[in-house]
Amino acid sequence: MRTFRIPFKAMASACELVLAVDDEPEAQAMARAAIAEVQRIEAKYSRYQPDSIVSRINAAAGGQAVACDEETWSLLNYADSLYQSSDGLFDITSGVLRRAWNFYDHRLPAPADLDGLRQLIGWRRVEREAQAVRLPEAGMELDFGGFGKEYAADRAGAVLAAKGLRHGYVNLAGDMRVLGPKPDGSSWMIGIQDPRDKTAILATIPVERGGLATSGDYERFFELDGKRYCHILDPRNGQPVTHWRTVSVVAPLAVVAGNCATIAMLKQSDGLAFLEACGMNYLAVDQSGTVHVKRAAQA
Amino acid sequence: MVPAWAVVDVAAIEDTLMTSSKIAMNDMVPAESAPLQTLGAALLAAAMALPLAVHAESAPERGLISLKHLDYLDSQPGDSRIKVRTTALMVLAPITSEWAIGGTLTTDSISGASPAYQSAALTKMRDERHAADTALTRYFPNGSLTLGVNLSSESDYLSRGLSVQATSSNESKNTTWSAGIGFNSDSINPSNKVVADETKRVTALLLGVTQVLTTHDIVLLNLGHSSGRGYFSDPYKFADNRPRDKDSNTLMLRWNHHLEALGATTRLSYRHYADNWGIRSHTLGLEYVQPLRQGWTVAPLLRIYSQSAASFYVLPDAGSYPFAPATQGYYSEDQRVSAFGAHTLGLKVAKQLDADWLVDLKFEQYGQRAGWRLFGSGSPGQMAFNARTVQAGLSRHF
Repeated sequence: MRTFRIPFKAMASACELVLAVDDEPEAQAMARAAIAEVQRIEAKYSRYQPDSIVSRINAAAGGQAVACDEETWSLLNYADSLYQSSDGLFDITSGVLRRAWNFYDHRLPAPADLDGLRQLIGWRRVEREAQAVRLPEAGMELDFGGFGKEYAADRAGAVLAAKGLRHGYVNLAGDMRVLGPKPDGSSWMIGIQDPRDKTAILATIPVERGGLATSGDYERFFELDGKRYCHILDPRNGQPVTHWRTVSVVAPLAVVAGNCATIAMLKQSDGLAFLEACGMNYLAVDQSGTVHVKRAAQA
Repeated sequence: MVPAWAVVDVAAIEDTLMTSSKIAMNDMVPAESAPLQTLGAALLAAAMALPLAVHAESAPERGLISLKHLDYLDSQPGDSRIKVRTTALMVLAPITSEWAIGGTLTTDSISGASPAYQSAALTKMRDERHAADTALTRYFPNGSLTLGVNLSSESDYLSRGLSVQATSSNESKNTTWSAGIGFNSDSINPSNKVVADETKRVTALLLGVTQVLTTHDIVLLNLGHSSGRGYFSDPYKFADNRPRDKDSNTLMLRWNHHLEALGATTRLSYRHYADNWGIRSHTLGLEYVQPLRQGWTVAPLLRIYSQSAASFYVLPDAGSYPFAPATQGYYSEDQRVSAFGAHTLGLKVAKQLDADWLVDLKFEQYGQRAGWRLFGSGSPGQMAFNARTVQAGLSRHF
């Protein structure tokens, strides 16, 4: 058995597959299938492709309902459960705030702009019935960016597992799904990026199987007068969250890991209680640099 | 009835049902002891409704077994649905160990929020992992392709090089072929302005084969050809005018042998060089690497070198100074193109400090004498030349 590391680019990021299989043709066949799956999801839920299901739903805002396929429908149901679990903080209609927060201009948005956009946010208002979805007001939009990458990691993982992969993982720019340990049974050592030092690793965790994802305030941000404004925005007031620098979660699925991490960021000072209630392994660093870690539960 | 598309990780379920004792309860709430209303289980249950199963191309029987298992559970009265959920949730339980704070452990991969950070750290990690990273190597299962770019610059000499090397092994990896081509373009602007804006272009080809003969023997054969055009003279030497072309061929043979009883390795090598300047040289090398206890290694080496003179080599003639030698055409008084022989005696001592760090000390005594030339006489009037080098090194293995 040999280990192959196959890098590729997807979701505008450096991704990789690490597959331990018997020979090269097997690795290539698995990689082709997994990468094709990631690209399929990227294309299907991309805001930038005018004929993607997301673009069509957004274009029909204020108009007719748009019929969804089963995959999209189940993703919308999942988004609803995230909304409920996060007390309304994880809201996939909050993507409109992007129009006010331009992370290239380093400028705070005008309150009037923010107010206008906040009128367009509200998952509760989205009409879902008979496998069709309708955004009731023109200008509203759905944004799958909040869980697209993690979902793609799980789907790629499922494709690899179906092809017989027992040892290896998928890493989509930091959102990972580990399918099995190294061929000798030892764990993969996964490092967590330091949120303030580009090349440093903050912590390491050995993983044999599971999903691992990290959310942080350093993905897209600008700093003004010593204050950091990051891209994770609270839908209730349109402002960036400030409490956590980074949150990493280990869960059975990458989607759950990623969404827990993001919700913890959104919950800010209530994030720790949320992570504890989730019962999953986490690592969180707050603004003072203090590291909070969930120790493995006693049996 | 659990819909087919809600079955996740079909094969994994079957595997893990067989080895259920391995499931770590670290991260999953054990169904027997805690209510399923915990947030985590709820989120997980919601995620389970996503289409995360894919039709397996092979092993449909496995899928059937798993479905049957779930069906069976589902048909039980009472809290069967919860049990089904529990089983499926349990089999996905991640298996991890504790977080280790601090970035000192070797990592296989990195999880982070920013793609930019990701590539910076990954690049650094990759750079560290693959030692020769000024070149870019793409590994294939039976070979590799290396692209090398080098750029070196001094105030009077700018060198640019590009090389490509490919290796290819047979199935058993006992035979490896390698081929490479390299280009170098140098710009020479000596500070004494003897010449200005001179260039030198060299193209080099390499062909080699490495063969594993036995479990204890590896042999290597390398053939090289180099073709250079341009300025080869040494501008800082008074009497130096070399041809503007230099073509050379090399042949190298090496035999590495492992001595089982001693745990040591011997490396015997021979290299032959010949060029159109008339220089022909032989290098014979013998190295003995002996690992000792506690991570120590000693490696004595012996190298014997002999070369003939270039056709344009002229004796430094104090009589004709300050004029160039009487010969027409090319000339050089550089003793590096004269006929001589040389011996090198060396000793390297190394200690492996821990799993990653290695410290070594290399001591070499080099002696060059015209009289040591083999297969002919050395150039007369040469001064003996001795050099002693001591080198200390610290290296980390990734």
